[in-house]
Amino acid sequence: MIFTIFKKELKDTLRDRRTLMMMLVIPILVFPLIMNIFVGVSASYQEEAATKKIKIGIVGTKNSFLANEMNNLPKSLGEKELIYFSDTASMIKELELDSIELAIFPSPSIEQDLLQQKPAQINLYYDATEVGLQERAESYFAVIQEKSKTKRYKELGIDPDKIEPIRVNYQNVASGKEMIGKLAGGMLPYIFIAFGFIGCMYPAIDLFTGEKERGTIETLLTTPVARWQILFGKMGVVVLSGLTAASCALLGLFFSIETMNVIENEEILNIVHSILSPGFIVMLYALLIPLTVFFAGVMIPIAVYAKTFKEAQSIITPLNIVMVLPAMVGFFPGIELNAITACIPVVNIVLSTKELIAGTLDLSLLALSFAVMFGLAVLAVFVSYKRFDKETNVVL
Amino acid sequence: MIEVSNLIKEFELTRQQQKELNTKEKIARAVDNISFTCQKGRVFSLLGPNGAGKTTTMRMLSTIFKPTSGSIQIAGIDAIHHSSEARKKIGFLTGSTGLYARLTPDELIDYFAALYQVSKEDRETRKEHLYNLLGMHEFRGKRIGKLSTGMKQKVSICRTMIHDPEVVVFDEPTSGLDVITAENIIQLIRDCKDQGKTVIFSSHIMSEVDLLCDDMAIIHKGKLLYSGTMDDFRSNMQADNLTAEFIRIVQQSHKA
Repeated sequence: MIFTIFKKELKDTLRDRRTLMMMLVIPILVFPLIMNIFVGVSASYQEEAATKKIKIGIVGTKNSFLANEMNNLPKSLGEKELIYFSDTASMIKELELDSIELAIFPSPSIEQDLLQQKPAQINLYYDATEVGLQERAESYFAVIQEKSKTKRYKELGIDPDKIEPIRVNYQNVASGKEMIGKLAGGMLPYIFIAFGFIGCMYPAIDLFTGEKERGTIETLLTTPVARWQILFGKMGVVVLSGLTAASCALLGLFFSIETMNVIENEEILNIVHSILSPGFIVMLYALLIPLTVFFAGVMIPIAVYAKTFKEAQSIITPLNIVMVLPAMVGFFPGIELNAITACIPVVNIVLSTKELIAGTLDLSLLALSFAVMFGLAVLAVFVSYKRFDKETNVVL
Repeated sequence: MIEVSNLIKEFELTRQQQKELNTKEKIARAVDNISFTCQKGRVFSLLGPNGAGKTTTMRMLSTIFKPTSGSIQIAGIDAIHHSSEARKKIGFLTGSTGLYARLTPDELIDYFAALYQVSKEDRETRKEHLYNLLGMHEFRGKRIGKLSTGMKQKVSICRTMIHDPEVVVFDEPTSGLDVITAENIIQLIRDCKDQGKTVIFSSHIMSEVDLLCDDMAIIHKGKLLYSGTMDDFRSNMQADNLTAEFIRIVQQSHKA
């Protein structure tokens, strides 16, 4: 009987355009679209930033020390045009009018200070809302600073190696897989959780509130099928929809990675491929199935309680934020899976998946996370059953 | 046969409902100690104004609601303690019955036949019979959402009868339907009676009751005001016509 109801509800759901959009079309297309836009915009921005000729105001003459140094900078640091000013006030005014992008005011005694081996002062003015200007200025002054240092060391007769008593070599022992797992591994469960929730939402509302609203539930309840069988048949479709939406989103993401050159580094790309082993996928779904059942179990009592589609939607939509927010924990590098975080629903799934990707998963913590989610899924199903069994909830 | 005795149904009131009803009572009694019997091969009507408790009673008979106390026997089965067994014997139809708009009539009938555990052979035979009777062949493959109200009502009738129920429960079956569509229902009730089924239907339309019923009961505010045969009702009436008599009985209960 459960399978009969499941089959019918699945057929009904697959004929609902709104659910199909949320379950298949949007999850599949969202990442290719985002990646396409991201790669396109980022490439054009990088190209523009590299080729952009910036106007730099400088107080002083064409033959001053700083003007010479600026003119001698390598062209690889970006095209520039120097505009000379006699005073700072007029230069700042031009900067405010956006006729120049950087304004440099060297101390009047800069050349003398350098000769006397004192620190020479340079004031740099820029608009911090203009992306990339500070970086451009830093790259210019890094070259000038290095050149000045070398000259001064020579004048003082100092071997640069001798004023660096300790030289630390930082060696990263984490494997590439571990690095990706710990730093970017939160992305995968986040996608799954966000799309899993959205995927469950529409079928849950349609199959419970919708059926109540359309007056079809009454006839279903007069058949010899037990209420728990009806609930399980419907719940199966809600869970399947959530898993399908999440899987489609992941497929879309991997399709984007494979075809859109999002990851240019071949080493990283090879690591991403190695992560996607059949064993990893089985483990991932073992964690995510109880999570999706939990989502379905949270939504169904609301959908059963609500009298209209709108009412159900208005309660479940904010719940989306409550459920998906903990999934963002995965983006913070410092938070690790331990006995406490393994007991926090959603957070445990995110952290376990991260560890799974990194290949550093402690099996006892995985078992604890699984047990917590499984327990919550059972509880959510029980609450759903209690709600669905309450006659005044089911019939309008 | 349906035997109902001392049936009571109470609902817990929410705060919102308490406000709407302007009461401090936490419990509302929708059906108050009613008893009646519907015989096999006869049509029994449950008559009452809006809010009388007709739908609640019908929902208890079709096992959607569980009574607070009392007993219901459906074709000899205790419908309260063996509700699944009782449901196999019941066909339930209301005027506002919804249908799955994204399914075709064929898919919907097959689905309900499967839920009633009707064998494939029986299902096909009954389907053919009902499709011929109701003239459903031409739209059996179309999505229900695209059918007219009349066609939808025919699908509802077919769904109600696919498992050949012994007892048929109609809750205000013609409510909101046009004359032609309502006629399909009236014909169905007559057919059920001819086939020796037990038929109970609720209504607030006296003319419909007069046309179809052998026995009747009047309920108001959950209480049974009258129960007996239609013939007795007609012969003992104090008003000029059936509708006036119905109104008189209801108004008399207010005074009492």
